[in-house]
Amino acid sequence: MSFDIIQTALFALLTIGVIGGAAGVVLINRITAAALLMAFTFLCMAGMFVLLGAETIAAFQVLIYVGAITVLILYGVMFTPQRERPYALFFQKQTPLAALVVVPIAIAVALLAFTFRDGGKAAAGGGDLPALATSVFRDFAFPFEVASVLLLAAMVGAIVLVRRDDE
Amino acid sequence: MSVPVGAFVAVSAVLFFIGVAGVLVRRNAVVILMCVELMLNATNLALVAFSRRAGLPDERGSVFVVFIFVIAAAEVAVGLAIVLSAYRNRPTVDVDEIHAMKG
Repeated sequence: MSFDIIQTALFALLTIGVIGGAAGVVLINRITAAALLMAFTFLCMAGMFVLLGAETIAAFQVLIYVGAITVLILYGVMFTPQRERPYALFFQKQTPLAALVVVPIAIAVALLAFTFRDGGKAAAGGGDLPALATSVFRDFAFPFEVASVLLLAAMVGAIVLVRRDDE
Repeated sequence: MSVPVGAFVAVSAVLFFIGVAGVLVRRNAVVILMCVELMLNATNLALVAFSRRAGLPDERGSVFVVFIFVIAAAEVAVGLAIVLSAYRNRPTVDVDEIHAMKG
């Protein structure tokens, strides 16, 4: 069946992405590149979750890891500047290359956005979300609350740690 | 599903050990945090893969993944706060040079 072949090929591609990205995080000396490769690894991992049929987890993965944690790490990189590494935020030497990638995507998105016509309804059901929500809010309600308290404690702790005392 | 669960677990194991190697080899505190995140994410993959294999009616494995997301977010927030406050005392993120609390 051709769908199986597609799945296997996707798995192979995602494996290359995950392993290559993770190896890059360890091996590349430039810390910003390492952080972006880490985001790429997390994105490939979200694809793996989709392959496994866990679409909700994949969405959380993109939101939390690719979004929040990568941004936090990049802020950490920004606040701990290394010596002998001057850089500009915009208009570095990769600008033409970036334009080469960005402009086709922008054209494709614009074409899609302006030629889109609503065709049919969305499929019923919510993937794995109903089962996940049932588990979290019924069977694991107490650990869920404990996790929220943990997040609050971590937030307060982080603020206290980085607060300056000279106000 | 055409891809066996074992393949996902194998990827998870490889990713986990890349993370361990990164934590042990690299000396930049921020990179070490990134490698810890990689290890946590490898665990997520293994949990989801095994939850698919068991064929349970609910999503127990995925629930633990949600909790690991919470732990990872808390860990990276507190970890970066520690790195930043250490950087404020001495401008370095090299863990070999951060030894103020060494006995």
